[in-house]
Amino acid sequence: MTDNKMIICRCEEVTYGELVETAEKFGCTPRELKLRTRAGMGYCGGRTCRSAVDSIALAATERDISEITLKYQPPIRPVSFGKLGDVTK
Amino acid sequence: MGKVIIIGAGPAGLSAAITIAEKGLDVLVIDEYMVGGGRLLGQLYEEPNGNWWNGIKESKSLVERAKNAGVEIQLHTPVSNIERIDDEWVIYTESEVHYTSHLLLATGAAETPLPIPGWTLPGVMSVGAAQVMTNVQRVKPGNRGVIVGVNVLSSAIAMELKIANIDVACITLPKMNIPTEKSADPMEVMNSLLHVSHMAPSAFVKLGSKLMTNDFMKRMGITFFPKNGVKMWDIPIMLRKAVVEIYGDGKVEGVKIATISPSGEVVAGTEENISADFVCIAGGLYPLAELAAVAGCPFYHIEELGGYVPLHNEQMQTPVEGLYVAGNITGIEGAKVAISQGVTAGLAIANDVLGGGLESNIQQAIADIETTRDNAYIQFHPEVKEGKRKLQQYWEEHQNKSVAITL
Amino acid sequence: MTNRILNHPVLDPIDESEVVTFTFDNKEYKGLRHESIAAALLANGVRTLRHHEESGTPRGIYCNIGHCFECRVSVNGEQGVRACLTPVQEGMNIESGGKLLTTVRDWRASQNG
Ligand SMILES: Cc1cc2nc3c(=O)[nH]c(=O)nc-3n(C[C@H](O)[C@H](O)[C@H](O)COP(=O)(O)OP(=O)(O)OC[C@H]3O[C@@H](n4cnc5c(N)ncnc54)[C@H](O)[C@@H]3O)c2cc1C
Ligand code: FES
Repeated sequence: MTDNKMIICRCEEVTYGELVETAEKFGCTPRELKLRTRAGMGYCGGRTCRSAVDSIALAATERDISEITLKYQPPIRPVSFGKLGDVTK
Repeated sequence: MGKVIIIGAGPAGLSAAITIAEKGLDVLVIDEYMVGGGRLLGQLYEEPNGNWWNGIKESKSLVERAKNAGVEIQLHTPVSNIERIDDEWVIYTESEVHYTSHLLLATGAAETPLPIPGWTLPGVMSVGAAQVMTNVQRVKPGNRGVIVGVNVLSSAIAMELKIANIDVACITLPKMNIPTEKSADPMEVMNSLLHVSHMAPSAFVKLGSKLMTNDFMKRMGITFFPKNGVKMWDIPIMLRKAVVEIYGDGKVEGVKIATISPSGEVVAGTEENISADFVCIAGGLYPLAELAAVAGCPFYHIEELGGYVPLHNEQMQTPVEGLYVAGNITGIEGAKVAISQGVTAGLAIANDVLGGGLESNIQQAIADIETTRDNAYIQFHPEVKEGKRKLQQYWEEHQNKSVAITL
Repeated sequence: MTNRILNHPVLDPIDESEVVTFTFDNKEYKGLRHESIAAALLANGVRTLRHHEESGTPRGIYCNIGHCFECRVSVNGEQGVRACLTPVQEGMNIESGGKLLTTVRDWRASQNG
């Protein structure tokens, strides 16, 4: 198996090759890279792959040390809509 | 007056809870794991004085003390969101919503992966996963493992596996790619290992202190580093080999390793297979601060602390009203530091709720964090103090800015 | 159950007194009370907890502490349950994989950015 086919985002099965190619083509920030590839947008909320996605984008762009590169979105643990409904009622 | 809520029943959260409850306040601790203690549960090592640091026992005693002090602990409860509405924090769990004026986030750390071809196969797990399986759940992660990533945590856990009579074939580096860059560079790894040499017996210490002297010697050390590694607790540590692939049909059957140059490039034609039924990935830890982020807390990236940390002062208070942080969410350190930070946060919260009177206790607690840090057995980053200094500076800048805006 | 660490040189012996019976994909297994579903299955030699919903690649535990969601199974019909932090119980009916809670995924997709 080559590195290009290696999975980075385990949830969405986004590969290293796809990420590196997208980052190079668009000169993406980490956030853009995530939106373009779906890496880090899966079930786990990017907890596992965020550092890897970050590093690929930051190979070409600068890190803003005062801003989290890959934002967190609630809910940070998946909640089924039924349950959400119960809670907010 | 409602109760103080703490998210995370690790050493930081529990010690904060005890501190607050002992001041006569109501406390609720919420955690998604099945037992209290957090990542302290899996820890096991012999301290220089010969005592064993037994995470299970330490956790039990913290939980016991918390219960005796009247703390309510709710396990099996993931918190999915928090938000500030009017002058209260709203905490969302699957089944309930809680409200509090004072919220402490003590959610600890998460592991950074080292992506390697084949790493989604069953049997590949983070090194912390193997620790929890072995020491907490007491099931062998497998019969023979390979640990990828050479650092403090992987060395500590390799020894724990060994104690539990689980065979570790070797600890070695990952193949270099963008995400693994630093963990795959033999020189970098050698440098970062020198400050853990106290954990490793003879061979490594000797080698380490010899190489300590200067860059030239380090380069020589890496160049002549024995291809089959130096042994630590009988486990070969191989800084001149890297795992290029994990293979197996439906589950791990082994890893393909290759010799690497002093700067980490694979030497063609040197690949060989090592059979194993489990692989541990050890890419290090980063503060798990997702709840602080959704709460709108400012963040700073501080390498020495392990990544993005929520801005906070010495009293563990963030600039967001009623929001406190303690433990590894503020930077990666050992459990004893987390405990001291928990006490400090607990005192700061109690002081605020009670309207003052605990100022000198807080000062003492802050000083205790320093002492604990200085005496720490495990240090994840040699420059953690520098990281804390940077954070303090960011805090001051932030305060000055807010003052300027209000004026 | 040979995969358990019964006699640890430093840690206390484990409590083997309460054995529970559960099923995983319709096959019966025995586990110990107070251990996680993931641990009980691994003790029985089962590593694969689900298959990736799209590619079908097999997956097992990765983080073992609730962060990665790789270990999600369905328990008594409830989907998306993390096997690494759910204690196994007598009579549990556990099934591998299961579909995604699609609502969550769609919700994330529309919210991200
Ligand atoms: C896998 C791993 C292994 C480690 N091994 C060692 C080691 O061997 N030696 C060492 O010195 N240090 C180790 N550490 C560092 C460890 O973080 C500290 O030693 C110490 O445990 C930190 O304490 P804490 O209270 O800050 O966090 P933790 O001990 O991590 O406790 C945090 C708690 O918060 C809970 N939590 C998090 N998010 C949520 C949520 N959204 N909802 C509900 N509950 C939540 C978690 O379930 C956890 O119980 C390890 C860390 C990790 C992640
Ligand atoms: S193994 Fe990661 S959530 Fe269970």
